[in-house]
Amino acid sequence: MKSATVILTVGLVVGASAFCGFYYLGTASPRELAKAQTPELAWLKSEFNLTDAELAGITKLHEAYQPHCEEMCRRINAQNKRLKLLLAATNQMTAEIEVAIAENAKLRGECQRDMLAHFLEVSRTMPPEQGKRYSTWIQERTVLPAFGMSREK
Amino acid sequence: MELERPSENPEPFRTLLREWKVTTPLPPRFAEGVWRRIDRTGVKPSLWDALQHWLSTALPRAAVAVAYVTVLLVAGVAAGYMQARNETVRLKGELGTRYVQSVDPYQKPGL
Repeated sequence: MKSATVILTVGLVVGASAFCGFYYLGTASPRELAKAQTPELAWLKSEFNLTDAELAGITKLHEAYQPHCEEMCRRINAQNKRLKLLLAATNQMTAEIEVAIAENAKLRGECQRDMLAHFLEVSRTMPPEQGKRYSTWIQERTVLPAFGMSREK
Repeated sequence: MELERPSENPEPFRTLLREWKVTTPLPPRFAEGVWRRIDRTGVKPSLWDALQHWLSTALPRAAVAVAYVTVLLVAGVAAGYMQARNETVRLKGELGTRYVQSVDPYQKPGL
């Protein structure tokens, strides 16, 4: 029984080691990406097979776009708060609510226009094939209406 | 006939038993023989006994041991590979979402 116990243990240790080893090696690449200074851009480089030079260009564009993006966030937040207050104050459709909704829609349009301009600029920095793939991917997740529905098709 | 009473002091007997060494090796397939005899008595061994018996007789055989370790090795490799693949897909998806959130004000967390 002693030798059987040893063999049983050896088998379990071998199986567990194989699992841990393959899991560790298999997840090395995403763990590396997550450790990067800007994981989302490191992911972009890996996903769209970009060179260091291409990534440097995209990082520049990304950083230049960030202040504008944050300003849009601030404006969207303010608009949402305003609409929320107007909606909480009444149970009727008022002229003010109509104006606020129209302003929200206008702001969304403005935001989508600027986002799209940024995405197109980023895509032009990539090799043509990858740029096309990036455009399709990012547009489906941002500016295309009801992208969740269209992705399921 | 009256049975002889055991001695009141069993210590000398115990000492003798402790000194007794069995030098004769067990005959080949002794355990199997014992189990066969138990089978013949009609007494059903419990599942645990049967498993223990199987482990102690079959597993030490080289072919069975190699097969057992190989199966666990392959299972470990396959499970590790599958788990890593799922985790990679999940982590990459998360990073992709983070990128989208970093460029789309409408998808920023907390908005």
